[in-house]
Amino acid sequence: MRNARWRRLPLPLLLIAAFALGGCGDQRILERIGFIQSTSYDLMPNGELKIAVAIPRLEAESNEKREVLSTTAPTSKQARIKMSRETSLQLVSGQLRVTLLGRSFAEAGIGNQLDTQIRDPAISPLMKIAVVNGDAEQLLNQRYSQHPRTDRYIERILEKEAGTHAIPKATLHQFVRDYYDDGIDPVAPMIRKAGKNIVIDGIALFRDDRFVYRLPPQDAMIFAFMRSRFKQGEIGINLQHQGAPREAVMVTSLVSQRSVKVSGSGPGTTVTVRVALDGTVLEYVGGLKLGKPKDLRKLERKIEAYVSGQAEAMMKNMQRAGADGIGIGAYVRNSMSYADWKRTNWRELYSQIDVRCKVKMTIKNVGKMK
Amino acid sequence: MDHRQQQLSHILRQFDDCADFTHKAFPELHADLLYFDHMVDSQKLYREVTAPILSASESELQNALDRLSGARMEADRDIVVAILSGSVALIYREQAYVIDMYNPKGRSISQSESETTITGPHDAFSEPVGDTLSLIRRRIKSSHLKCVRMKVGEISKTDVFLLYVADIVNMHYVDELSRRIRGIEIDAVHDTNMLVQLIDDRPSSIFPQFFTTERPDAIASKLAAGRVVGIMDGSPSAFSAPTSFFEFFTSSDDYYQRWSLGTATRALRFFSFAVTILFTCFYVSVTTFHYEMIPQNLLLTLSESRSRVPFPPVYEALLMELVIELLREAGARLPTKIGQTIGIVGGIVIGQAAVQAGFTSNILIIVVASSAISSFVMPSYIMSASIRLIRFGLIILAGIWGNLGITVGVAYLIIHLCHLTSLGSSYMTPVAPHKPGDWADVFIRAPFKLLKTRPSQAKSPNPARMKMKK
Repeated sequence: MRNARWRRLPLPLLLIAAFALGGCGDQRILERIGFIQSTSYDLMPNGELKIAVAIPRLEAESNEKREVLSTTAPTSKQARIKMSRETSLQLVSGQLRVTLLGRSFAEAGIGNQLDTQIRDPAISPLMKIAVVNGDAEQLLNQRYSQHPRTDRYIERILEKEAGTHAIPKATLHQFVRDYYDDGIDPVAPMIRKAGKNIVIDGIALFRDDRFVYRLPPQDAMIFAFMRSRFKQGEIGINLQHQGAPREAVMVTSLVSQRSVKVSGSGPGTTVTVRVALDGTVLEYVGGLKLGKPKDLRKLERKIEAYVSGQAEAMMKNMQRAGADGIGIGAYVRNSMSYADWKRTNWRELYSQIDVRCKVKMTIKNVGKMK
Repeated sequence: MDHRQQQLSHILRQFDDCADFTHKAFPELHADLLYFDHMVDSQKLYREVTAPILSASESELQNALDRLSGARMEADRDIVVAILSGSVALIYREQAYVIDMYNPKGRSISQSESETTITGPHDAFSEPVGDTLSLIRRRIKSSHLKCVRMKVGEISKTDVFLLYVADIVNMHYVDELSRRIRGIEIDAVHDTNMLVQLIDDRPSSIFPQFFTTERPDAIASKLAAGRVVGIMDGSPSAFSAPTSFFEFFTSSDDYYQRWSLGTATRALRFFSFAVTILFTCFYVSVTTFHYEMIPQNLLLTLSESRSRVPFPPVYEALLMELVIELLREAGARLPTKIGQTIGIVGGIVIGQAAVQAGFTSNILIIVVASSAISSFVMPSYIMSASIRLIRFGLIILAGIWGNLGITVGVAYLIIHLCHLTSLGSSYMTPVAPHKPGDWADVFIRAPFKLLKTRPSQAKSPNPARMKMKK
């Protein structure tokens, strides 16, 4: 029994140690910290960074829902130190949801910033990245009277639109993964200020860590078809030719499958992207009678022609800009040995290869109206 | 002075100043009756002793006495002990007879207050050991049910019975248990829950190492499972051994409901165990250290309600837990009618006013209340009290080290649990040692056709419970 009592000593010792070391932990008591929800980066003409952070304010007495701090500094962590002089709260980045990259900053290359964010264990890999077409700090600092919780607003826009694949999902994890993969380049949604609101303004395509090409919003769905398979999406297509009567269709509940085939080698490489689409027609304006199977087939052919035409044109632009946002490189790499791939100058080859798009559209149903 | 007078006066001297002692003398018959009036059945005494000897003539008296259902005793000491145990001593000439008339007035068999079930038998043990034995014998009508009698307590001389079903029980446990009970050196034992603490493997542990219950059906099932059962005079609880930690998560209700419901209820109890010990300390660690873990929607409301609280989360949580414990303790001690008042006062004061006054955050109220409710889901009150106490240690650890502190605390708890034994068998059976065969009756309550063996912890020489024809 006496022996057993001695063996139980660790608990009191543990508690004494716990009390003695109590002050040493880095406590972050909830109401004393300012958790940054969004942050923005812009490049100043003098080469310094202009950094802004938005923190929610929670005092019941105040009507202010958020606090925005901004400063210029050579690096983001130095900016953090400068900003913390202005606030009563301890700035932390563990709840960071959105990083906004100003166009100037994205064009100059964001490599170092990525490194900082991925290095900080407090920052979630699910944090969203978006490029602002314009000045990111202004967009973040703006008071949107209809959206008092601006940070939530921005995050929700990005999340919702990514849900229907109108913009690619760009989390820190995906962005960094694509950045370090030599067969694909990262992409991010683009937003801009539009009066009282914020609007999605297409897709920002990167070449390595530099923003090089903006894909307009109407091409976003085509980009999604080419980039990966998905369920759930919708596209509105204007099928009208010049001089012809009005014809437009809107397809929803899209299920898109994609397969990529690589043939040939060197500059003669041909990449064929096959896209199989299933969908429901929710709106049709035009001369075809959708109740007739024959007319339905006709509409399917028209949609196929439109999508593949748009896709090939889009690919030409992307090749010209040298941004491989849909990951053709990974398929080309998989078609050859690693030694061959290492010998290949993919950047150069990318602009020379022939990318074709073949689309198979199946209309599952045409809604209640027959 | 003859031998008889000497013996009588010696016994009477033992009972000097015992106002409740009765001494009836029949000088013409040379007989004396010695007993405690309140311990014996007075009608039976008249019918079986007083009436026969009064009506018998001098010559018949010896025969009448021999027919009595009593034993002849010689030693004064034995006679004194017998009288104290509720026997009537009849001293006739040179002989002393001791007739057992023990019939104390106890409360009738009623429902258990602390272990109620919705379905299943509602009777519970009461204080007289005879009632307890009878309730068990009624459920196991087998001559294999054996009963060993022992006395505990220098002064109290309390009767303790060890019950087991021969051929099912492992005699090693019976021997070990009776060795421990005989080894107890104490003046008096007042309850089974006190008795088991005297024979614990690890008396300093916070966890109970014997399963105690007031339910005869639970005890019958423990006997059938090959465990040893102990009962004590004057206590409405019985204990069973060896015990595993997981037995405290089972209730007889589980077996009376459909198996799927029994399984779900058990899952609920394991969940409630985790909630009881972890929920409040998790709140403390998250609000003190790990703001990253809070979902965004909760974050705003949480820090809004925290922003008015003047204390750090750990003091806030300890304070509220203390208030809940005060309410519980006050409610348990008071009669039901006043207990309700406590409930209302506590509900209003804690639920509303404390939050409005900026004393605590309302999320904490929810956290503390749900962990308090969860602790009462435990079927065993003793275990429920133990885990409520553990919670405080974990809250302090969480306030100092955050999730690391909780991890350290839980790790210590698991190490301690693995270290415990009950009658030398592991407390964590069937997890450690790993006995997957038992899991069907521990983590789930499988249909009866799958519960074919007795628990491995009982180490029964006869492990098959059920022999089913294929």
